[in-house]
Amino acid sequence: MGKLRETILNPLFKNNPVTVLVLGICSSLAVTVEMKGALVMALSVTVVTGLSSLILSLIRKTIPNRVRIIVQLVVVALLVILVDQILRSFEATYAIDKQLSVYMGLIITNCIVMGRIEAFALGNKPLPALIDGLANGLGYGLILLTVAFFRELLGSGTLFGIPVLKALGYPGNGLVILPPMALIILGCIIWIQRSIDKELQE
Amino acid sequence: MNTNGNTYTVVYTSLVCVLVAAVLAVASQALKPRQAANEKAETISQILVAAGYGEMEGWRKAGNAAVLQCFRDNVEGEPQVYTPSQLKAQNYNIKHGKQLSLPVYRFKNGVTVLAVYGAGLWGPVWGYIALEPDMATIAGAYFDHESETPGLGGKIKDDPSFRDSFKGKVIGGDNTVEFDAISGATMTSRGLKTAIDTWMKAYREN
Amino acid sequence: MEYISLFIKSIFVDNMIFAYFLGMCSYLAVSRNVKTANGLGIAVVLVLAITVPVNYLLNRFVLQPGALSWLGPGFASVDLSFLSYILFIAVIAAMVQIVEMIVEKYLPSLYSSLGIFLPLIAVNCAILGGSLFMQQREFGNILEAIVYALGSGIGWYLAIVTLAAIREKMAYSNVPAGLRGIGITFITVGLMGIAFMAFMGIAL
Repeated sequence: MGKLRETILNPLFKNNPVTVLVLGICSSLAVTVEMKGALVMALSVTVVTGLSSLILSLIRKTIPNRVRIIVQLVVVALLVILVDQILRSFEATYAIDKQLSVYMGLIITNCIVMGRIEAFALGNKPLPALIDGLANGLGYGLILLTVAFFRELLGSGTLFGIPVLKALGYPGNGLVILPPMALIILGCIIWIQRSIDKELQE
Repeated sequence: MNTNGNTYTVVYTSLVCVLVAAVLAVASQALKPRQAANEKAETISQILVAAGYGEMEGWRKAGNAAVLQCFRDNVEGEPQVYTPSQLKAQNYNIKHGKQLSLPVYRFKNGVTVLAVYGAGLWGPVWGYIALEPDMATIAGAYFDHESETPGLGGKIKDDPSFRDSFKGKVIGGDNTVEFDAISGATMTSRGLKTAIDTWMKAYREN
Repeated sequence: MEYISLFIKSIFVDNMIFAYFLGMCSYLAVSRNVKTANGLGIAVVLVLAITVPVNYLLNRFVLQPGALSWLGPGFASVDLSFLSYILFIAVIAAMVQIVEMIVEKYLPSLYSSLGIFLPLIAVNCAILGGSLFMQQREFGNILEAIVYALGSGIGWYLAIVTLAAIREKMAYSNVPAGLRGIGITFITVGLMGIAFMAFMGIAL
């Protein structure tokens, strides 16, 4: 039981994929301008890491070591493309897909997906692999939402598009909207995390 | 089982490739008609919004059939609807000085909708510009993109005030139009401007 | 002349790291010292220079709408562009695997210092980004694609070596304990990014 708890909680704080393992940075910069985009991305990555970890853990014993990267990538890409194609076919889900397709390339190339497959799913049973994938997606989402919170609040003065600071007459700050600011906010989050948890300090 | 032998590796890889290709091909073929219908309806609803008929949110709720019906009722004649990928082909023709066939939609309320297409920061951007009968004043516009950053370049689609800033602008004698760039999205705005200028020039010359 | 301006533009104006923020994960993790940064940088240049032209040919003769018309007039209406993601990725993964095998065999010390990040080049967004930008920009011939790939690879290389050099110097600075290591690196890259934005205004 203790091990399961660890598998779930570790990726959220102690072993967070973004702030500790430094994975998935590209997308953390691109989709954290507003909360809405960050939420969509966080959910999709959680689903994709969970499912792909599960599938690859199921077939882990059959994969030849020399071509494992290709097999991993093909499975992940297949998963994402299939979901995209199915969503696009129905009138009701077409609009959702249009919004998601912006993130598609980012999801396939998100190193968290591949990183968890390499580091965990290929050496563990399907159920722990699924949980590890989901938990890492959530840990990633947690950071994404935190960064997006500050960027949207300080950059445009809104949250989820609803005026908060803007209503008080805050004009917005263009610098916070630019990608470099996401890096600086991430740096500060890491600073705070490592000040609390001294074990992580270098 | 030895999973590292040459034969096993080759057979395994080919099997995976064939399987994946088959799944994708079947999915793509089976779902294509539905996707094409959705894409066409979306394109038409964007043209309608540019021409001043309804709003995007309303059309999404009304469904594909209502969109097609409204288009049939209000457009002059039966123009062929160009999807973004067809616009892309024409963009290629413009760039390389080949034979053009550009979409023109004349509406019964007097406006004429023209299409534009070009490269944004991450992927293509395109849009529809409605002109008053004088063929120079802009009556309305709608822009779309494939993969611009939400909240930055994505604003060309999501921010109504950006679209509204086009209303009443005049396309000058040099076939260009000036508009305020979105802050933080210099590349997208610049790409959109290039798209509009090139396509307006192509329209004037034809 | 056109090629020179494309080359310069893809190094500085369209820098993969500072203009598009692509390939960040390995960029941040493998920039501790100049030597490993050098190795990874060269690997990225190599992989980009191989995959972009290969994917260019693939796009030109297989994927584009109508690209198969060289097989005969019956194939002119075939559109395989829905396969581009997966094929580009497969090509990239295969190339990375080959580079990995070569590095493992001939440069074992580099191999062990790159660790998990060598296989992760396959998902290095800079590599896939290179191929997708190539597809989107519709380069006229393969030479342009090669020049573009080399330029963006070298831009990435320059960026990682610069950061590694800064980090080597920073090891002697008195950084607050919690910021040491990756934290201060994030902030450094952010500041470098702001500086590089100056290039955006240049039209070539």
